[in-house]
Amino acid sequence: MLTDFNFTSVFKDNSLIMKTSGYINNTAGEKITNEFMKHKDEGVNKVIMDLQDSKVVNSIGVSYLIEIIEKLNESNGKLYFLNLDPTIEKTFSIMGLFQFAEKADSVEGALSK
Amino acid sequence: MSTTNSNIVDKLSLQVDSFQEGFEILSESKSINEMAKQFATLLRGNFLVTDVNLFYKNVSNSTWEMIYGNKENYTKWMIVNNSSSMQIEYDLNEDVKACVNLPLVDKSVMGITIGAKLDKSDFTDFDKITLQIFLQLLDNAYQSVINRQKEKKLIFELNQRVLQLNNLIDTGIDLSKFENRQLLFQLALQRAAVLTDTSHALIGISKDEETLEEIFFPPGLDSSIINESENKISASFSYQEKEYNFTLANKESRTGVAEYTDLDKLLLEAIARQVNAAIENEFLHEQSLIKERIEQELNVAASIQQKVIPQELPKIPGYDVAGINIPSREVGGDYYDCIDLGDNRFALVMADVAGKGIAASLLVNTLNASLYAYLDNKTPLVEMTEKLNKIIFNASPSDKFITYFITILDAKTGELDIVNAGHNPMLLLRENGTMQKIEAGGLGLGMFDFGLPYEGEKQTIKTNERLLLYTDGIPEAMNENEEEYSDERMEEFFLLNKTKTAQEFVDKIVNDVKSFAGNAEQSDDITTMYLIKK
Repeated sequence: MLTDFNFTSVFKDNSLIMKTSGYINNTAGEKITNEFMKHKDEGVNKVIMDLQDSKVVNSIGVSYLIEIIEKLNESNGKLYFLNLDPTIEKTFSIMGLFQFAEKADSVEGALSK
Repeated sequence: MSTTNSNIVDKLSLQVDSFQEGFEILSESKSINEMAKQFATLLRGNFLVTDVNLFYKNVSNSTWEMIYGNKENYTKWMIVNNSSSMQIEYDLNEDVKACVNLPLVDKSVMGITIGAKLDKSDFTDFDKITLQIFLQLLDNAYQSVINRQKEKKLIFELNQRVLQLNNLIDTGIDLSKFENRQLLFQLALQRAAVLTDTSHALIGISKDEETLEEIFFPPGLDSSIINESENKISASFSYQEKEYNFTLANKESRTGVAEYTDLDKLLLEAIARQVNAAIENEFLHEQSLIKERIEQELNVAASIQQKVIPQELPKIPGYDVAGINIPSREVGGDYYDCIDLGDNRFALVMADVAGKGIAASLLVNTLNASLYAYLDNKTPLVEMTEKLNKIIFNASPSDKFITYFITILDAKTGELDIVNAGHNPMLLLRENGTMQKIEAGGLGLGMFDFGLPYEGEKQTIKTNERLLLYTDGIPEAMNENEEEYSDERMEEFFLLNKTKTAQEFVDKIVNDVKSFAGNAEQSDDITTMYLIKK
C-alpha cells in the first residue's frame, strides 16, 4: 500500500472515471468529492471508481462516498465500484452503499449500464 | 364571526391542498439552500412578488448568511433580537414590504425579506395570514428535514457500530491465521486505524527500554507525525520480556481532527489483546512442534535403549537368574545385562547413569559397546573398569557419570570376580541367613580421571545362596508422603522371600515397590537382577 492517497481521473461523456490508490480516509474523501464537484456542473451522471489499489477505507471516507451517491441520486446518476477488496466490499455492504451504488466488472461494463 | 373573517376562512379552505403540496415540496429538500429556493418560489407564486431574499444564521454563527436571492445588504433589515417566536414587520419601505425573523427548531434563525407585489398593492389581511401559514409550513418542513438528517446520522452510526463489531470479529479470525509477524502487525495497525477513523498508527517493540522495531500505518510514515501529535491513544502488552506498544494518532472527522472516545480506547485494547493472543499462540505452536520433535527423538533413543537392555537372559546351568528394567521416562539411565562369556563364565552387570533422557541413553550405549569389546578380549575386571572410566570421562559432560557394578561368575565353581564403581552394594544372602554387602571398588565411571585405582573382590556363591543386584530406583522409590522405600525394607523383603524363584522374586519386589509408591509418580528407573545358585 502506498503511504499517500492518490488518484487519477478521466471525465468523458458525462462519466467520471477515477482510479484510487491508498487509504480512503478524510483527506482522500475530500479529494474524491472535490474532483466529483469539479465535474458536477458539467453534467456528470455516472461516476466509476476503481479501488484496485485501495485496500483500506474508514467511515469518514465512506461518508464522502455516500455524499457523492446522494448528489448523483438527485440528478438520477449512479456510482459504480470496480475491483473491490473483500474487506471493503463488506464495509460498503454493511454501511448500505449498495442500496444506491453498484458493483461493475469493468469500466466498459459500467459505462454500458 | 364577521363577514370579512368568514371570507378569509373560506378562501383559506380553498388553499388547503396548495398548503399541503407546499409542505411536501419543502420537506423533501435535500439542503437548507434547496429549501430556501423552494420557499422563495412559493412566495413568488402566491403573492406575485419578484424580490425574495432568504438569510440563515445557525446556532454558533452570529452572522447572517445569504442562502437565496441577490440582495446581500438586506441583512440590514434583519430583526436584531433574541426572541424565540416568529416576528414579522410590514411596509419597511418601497422595496421591502415584509421582513421575517423565524426562529427554527434547532435554535438557528431564518431571515426573509419580501419585495413589492407586481401590482404595487399592499399586503392584505388575507396575504398576511397566508404568509404566516407559509412560515409555519417552512418551520415544520425544516423540522422534518432536521429529523431526517438526524435519522440518517443515526443509521450511519448504527451501521458503523455493526461494522466495528464485524471488523473486530474478522480481525480476531484474520490475526490468528498469520504466521508472518510483519503481516500480523501491519494488519493489526490497519484494522485499528479503520475501526477508530485514525490517520496514523504505530506499533513499537522494545526490550529493556531499547526500541527494537517500529511498524507504521500507513507504511513508510515519518515517526515524527505520531510522536509530535497531541491527539493520540495507546495500549500495550508485554510478552517474553518484550514490550509491544500500540499508538493511534490523529482521529479524523469531517471537520478535521476529533477527540478519541472511550470506545476507541476499548477497540485499540481489543486489537492489542488479539495480537498478544496471536503471538502467544504462535509461540505455543512452535513449542509444541519442538516438543513433538523431542518426543520423536526420545522414542528413537528409547528404541535404541531397549536394544541394549536384554529381552531375555541366558540360561546359566545350575543357576536361576531373572532381571527387569522399568524406565521412569521414555529413555532411562539404568542398564543391566547378563552376558554369556563362554566356558561357563557369565558377566552380570548393573549400571545407573546420573540423569535421564537422550544424554543418559548415549552414555549407556557407550558403556554397553565398550563393555562387550573388553569382555570379548577377556580384559581383567579392574583393568577393564579403569579403561571404561577413561572412556566415559571423555564421552560425558562434567555432570554425567555412571555408577556400575560388574561380577564375572564362574558357573562351575560359583566364584565371583567383582568390581563396584560407586554403585549400591550387591547383597549376597548366605545359606545361614547372613546378608553380605559387597561394596569394594572405587568411584563412579566418568567422575574423575586421576588414575585412582579400582579394587576388585572375590566371593564364592554356594548352593541356595542368592545374589541381589539393583539400582537406587528400588530403595529410593517415593510414596505420596515423600517417604522412601528404603534399604531396610528392601533387605527385609530379600530375607522374607528367599524361597521364591528368581522370576517370582523379581516380579514380587517390583509389585511391592509399586504398592508402596501408590499414586506417586515413578521418580526413577527400577532395575534389578537376581541370581540363585540351585
